[in-house]
Amino acid sequence: MGILLFISVLLVAACGLIYELVAGTLASYLVGDSVFQFSTIIGTYLFAMGIGSALSRYLNRGLVYRFVWIELLLGVIGGFSSALLMMAFAFTQGFELILYALVIIMGVLVGLEIPLLMRIVRDRYEFRDVIAHVLTFDYLGALGASLLFPILLVPRLGLVRSAMLFGLVNAGVALWTTYLFSTQLSGTRVLRIACVVVICGLGIGMADARRITATAEDNIYADDIIFARDTRYQHLVLTRFKDDLRLFLNSHLQFSSRDEYRYHETLIHPGLAAVPVPHRVLVLGGGDGLAVREILKYPQIESITLVDLDPEMTKLFSTHPMLTKLNDKSFLSPRVHIINADAFPWVDSNTDNFDFIVIDFPDPTNYSLGKLYTTAFYRAAARHLSLQGLMVVQSTSPMFARDSFWCIAQTLKQAGLQTYPYHVYVPSFGEWGFVLAGTHEYTPPTSLPSGLRFINVEGLPALFQFPPDMAPLPMPPNQLNSQVLVRTYENDWKDISH
Amino acid sequence: MKVGRRKFLRSGSAALVGLSLKSDRPITGSFVNDSFQMGHLLRDRASFPPAKRVEKFPVAIVGGGIAGLSAAWRLRKRGFNDFVLLEMNPQAGGNARWGENEITAYPWAAHYVPVPGPKAEFARELFEDLDVLKNGQWEQRDLCFAPQERLFLYGRWQEGIEPAIGLTQKDRDQFQHLEDLFAKFRAGGEFTIPLELGRSAKFQDLDRLSFSDWLQQQGCDSRLVNWYMNYACRDDYGALAKDTSAWAGIHYFSSREAEERGPLTWPEGNGWITRRLLERVGENVRTNQMVHRIAETKRGVSVFSGDKEFQSEFVIFAAPTFLAPYLVDGFPHLHDFVYSPWLTANLTLERLPDSRGAEPTWDTVFLDSPTLGYVDATHQSLRTHIDRTVWTFYWALADGTPAQNRQLLLDKDWNYWKEAILHDLERVHFDIRRCVSRIDLMRMGHAMIRPTVGSVFSEERLRLTRRAPRTDSRLLFANSDLSSISIFEEAQYHGVLAAQSIFERLHAHR
Repeated sequence: MGILLFISVLLVAACGLIYELVAGTLASYLVGDSVFQFSTIIGTYLFAMGIGSALSRYLNRGLVYRFVWIELLLGVIGGFSSALLMMAFAFTQGFELILYALVIIMGVLVGLEIPLLMRIVRDRYEFRDVIAHVLTFDYLGALGASLLFPILLVPRLGLVRSAMLFGLVNAGVALWTTYLFSTQLSGTRVLRIACVVVICGLGIGMADARRITATAEDNIYADDIIFARDTRYQHLVLTRFKDDLRLFLNSHLQFSSRDEYRYHETLIHPGLAAVPVPHRVLVLGGGDGLAVREILKYPQIESITLVDLDPEMTKLFSTHPMLTKLNDKSFLSPRVHIINADAFPWVDSNTDNFDFIVIDFPDPTNYSLGKLYTTAFYRAAARHLSLQGLMVVQSTSPMFARDSFWCIAQTLKQAGLQTYPYHVYVPSFGEWGFVLAGTHEYTPPTSLPSGLRFINVEGLPALFQFPPDMAPLPMPPNQLNSQVLVRTYENDWKDISH
Repeated sequence: MKVGRRKFLRSGSAALVGLSLKSDRPITGSFVNDSFQMGHLLRDRASFPPAKRVEKFPVAIVGGGIAGLSAAWRLRKRGFNDFVLLEMNPQAGGNARWGENEITAYPWAAHYVPVPGPKAEFARELFEDLDVLKNGQWEQRDLCFAPQERLFLYGRWQEGIEPAIGLTQKDRDQFQHLEDLFAKFRAGGEFTIPLELGRSAKFQDLDRLSFSDWLQQQGCDSRLVNWYMNYACRDDYGALAKDTSAWAGIHYFSSREAEERGPLTWPEGNGWITRRLLERVGENVRTNQMVHRIAETKRGVSVFSGDKEFQSEFVIFAAPTFLAPYLVDGFPHLHDFVYSPWLTANLTLERLPDSRGAEPTWDTVFLDSPTLGYVDATHQSLRTHIDRTVWTFYWALADGTPAQNRQLLLDKDWNYWKEAILHDLERVHFDIRRCVSRIDLMRMGHAMIRPTVGSVFSEERLRLTRRAPRTDSRLLFANSDLSSISIFEEAQYHGVLAAQSIFERLHAHR
C-alpha cells in the first residue's frame, strides 16, 4: 500500500510540473520572450498552488472522493491545456488571458493535491514520515518530469501529446485511487465510469493530436495551406489567400503571386534583353519555373537548361494546376530541360556554353548554401559564359542585408567579372537586389519583349541607382575557406530582427 | 514503514532507460590494411626463399609512402625513369593511404598539409606541379572550407580547438604567455619546416627535457592549457607532452605562420597527394613487394624481395628506419627511434547525427577525450546537400608505453574497439548508433616517429641523415623519421633530397 501511494505522489507531482512547463514553452514559442514567459508563468503557477493549499482546509469530508475528482479535473484541463492554448492563439485575440486563467486553474488544483494526500495518509504513518516521504516523492517526480520534458517528451511527442499523456497519468491515478481506497469510498462505480470517460477522451485526443496541431497551424500561417510536404531536401509549404499564392521553403517566403512578376521580370530582362543573340540559357535554382516563364518570352532562345536540387519541387511546378497557371506551364515547353542535381558539382562537370546564366539560389543562411556564393563557384559558372554572355545573381536585399549584398557584388568582381548591381522594390519582400556580371561592358537594352508588367526601357537606368542608405560598402569577397558571407548575412538580419 | 525507496528508484530508472531504448542500426566492419604479420616475419627472422631471378635498375626505392613517392617524383621530373619502387602493401601511400566507398573517398591516416611556408621549397614546387599553387595563390578548393574546427566542452560547442569558453583569468594569461613565447621562437627562425634547415645547437637544451617539464618551468599549470598542449602532442606525435621533447613541442607551435589560411585538405586527405603522385610515377611502382634483405655489394646494392634480387647502383631506403636493422646486412641496432601506435577508424554514416545546433565542421574534437576526434570526409564536397558521410576517427594510443599499446592493438578484437569508439562519440552525438552502418579499423603499431626527449639532436639520427645525401654510401635513408617528426613536408624533403643526391652522382659517374 505504502509504495503504491507514494508512487501516486510522484506521478501527480510530475503531472503538475509538466503542465507548468507546457504552458511556459508554448507561450515562449508563440509569443516569444521566453525569460518573461517562464518567469511569469512559474510565478503565477506557484502562487495559484498556494491558493490551492490554502483552500484545502475547507475540504473536510470525503477526502479520497474529492481527490479523485481533482485528479480527473486536472487530467482533463491539464491534458487538453496545450491543445487549448494553441487553438486560443490561432483563433482568439485573448491568448494571454486564457493562458493565465488556465495556469491559475491548474495551479489551484495542483496546490490542492499534496495537502489532501498528506491528510489522507496521516492516520497510517507518523507525521514526520508523512512529511518526509510525501515531499521526497513530490520532488523526485518533479525531477523526473523536468528531465523527461526536454529530452523525450518535446522531441518525441510534441507539446500537445505530452500534455495529453500526462492528463492520462492524472486520470490513471484517479482510477487507481478508486481501487486503492475502495473501502473508504462510496459510489466508486460512478467515479470509475468518469475515469474511463476521461481516459477515452484523452486517448482519442492523443490519436488525433496531429489534426489539432494542423488546424491551429493553418490559422497561424494566416492563409490556407493548400500544399505542405517534407521532401528529402526541404520543407515545402504553399498557402493561398484569395488570389494570392505564396511559396515557403523551410519557412522562408519564396514568392507571392501578387508581386512576383516584379521580382522575375527584374531578374531576367535587364540582362537577357541586353545579350545580342541569345540561344542557350542556364537557370541554377528557380525550381518554381517563374524565371523560365520570363525567359520563354524570347522566341530566339532555343534551349533553357534548369538545374534544381529538388525533383519534388520541379514536379510540383510542372503538374499542380494552380502553379502551372502561375508559371504559364513553362516547364512543359519543349525548349526547357530540367536537371535535378546539386548545382556546384554540375557546373563543375558540365562543359556547355550559355548566353545567359541565371543564378537564383536561396539566401546564404548556412555554410552549405554559402558555397554557392563564393569566388570559386562564380569562376566555375563564368566558364560556361559565351563570348557575349551575361549572368545575373540573386543577391539578397541591399536594404536589409546591405553588407551581404555588397559582399556578393565584391565576390563576383574578385572572380574576374565586371559587375552591374541593381535593385527593385517587391512589396512582399521589400527592396531586393541583383548583380549582373560578365566579361565585357554592359549596356542596358534598348528594346524588351512585349507584355511586361513592370520593366520598361525608360525605367531601366533607375534600377541601377542606389540611394545613400543602400550605397556600396567595402566588403571582402566570399571564399570557400572563409565563408564571410554566411556570418555577414546572419549579422545583417540580427540587426533588424531582435 | 518501509517504502523500499531504493528498489523503487531502481525500477524507476529502469523504466526511463526502457523509454530511451531505440532500435540501433546493425554495424558491420573489420580490421583492414593489417601489415603487422609481415613485420613480424622480419622481426622473428623468418627464412625467405632464395632469389631465383635478377632484375637490374640503376636505382631502387624501398617503401612507397610519401618519402619514396617523392623521391620517385623528383627522379622522373629530372627525366630519369629507370628505377623501381618496391612497396610492401597492396596499396602505395603509407601514412597517406586512402579508401573509397559509394559515398566518398576518405583518408586512412594523414589528412592535411598546413599551407607550406617559404622554406618548404620542395613542397611548394610539388603543389605548383599539382595546380594547388598558381601564381603565388593557393587554390581555394584545396584549402579547408569554413567552418574548420569545433570543440565540444561543458556540454556545448565552440569554434576552434583551443579552449575559448569557460576560461579563468589565469588560463587566459597562460595561453597568452605561451603565445608570446612561441612568437619569439618563431621570429628567431630556428624552428623551421623542413626542420633541418633551422635546427641550431642554440636550442639543444630544449631537447634535453620533456615538453611538460618545460611548460611547468614557464609556470603553466592551467588544466586547459595542459589539455591543449597534450592534445597537440597527441595529434602530431602520438605522444603525451611528458613523452615529447620540449624542442618538438615548441616546434609544433613555432614552425608555422601564426595566420594560416589553410590547411590544404581533400576528401581522401593526403591520399589525394598520393593519387596525384601515382599518376606521375605509378609505372615505376610495384606493390605487394615485401623486401626481406638489403645487402651492399662491391658494385652497388642488392634488394631482395620475394624470389627476386634487384641489383641497383643506389638504393633509397624510404621505409620506416626502424626496419633497417632487420633488413640491411650488418646494420647496427637503433636506440633513438621510438614509434607511436595508432588506431584509425572510418565510420560510414547513413545519416548525420544530432549536433545540437552546431554546423558541421571539418574537424571535431572533444575536451578530455583520450581520442583525437574525427574528420568529416565530405566537408570538402562542393555539394550543398549531404545526407550520408564518412568520418575518419583518430586515436593515438599515447597513454602507457608504445609496447603495451601495440600489444593492446593485437589483443583486442574489432568489437572492443567499435564499442570504445561509439562510447566516445556517444557522449556528444547521443544518436550515433542509429547513424553508423559500418566501422573499419586500421591498426598501426609503428604509425609515426615519436620525438622523445633527446631524439631531435640524437647523434644516431644525425649520422643516418648525413649518410644520406653527403657521403659516398650507396644506401640512402629518406623516411620522415630522420627528422624525428612524422609530417608530410619532412617525408617529402628527405625523399627529394635523396633522389637529388643520387641523380647528381649518377651524372657524375657518366
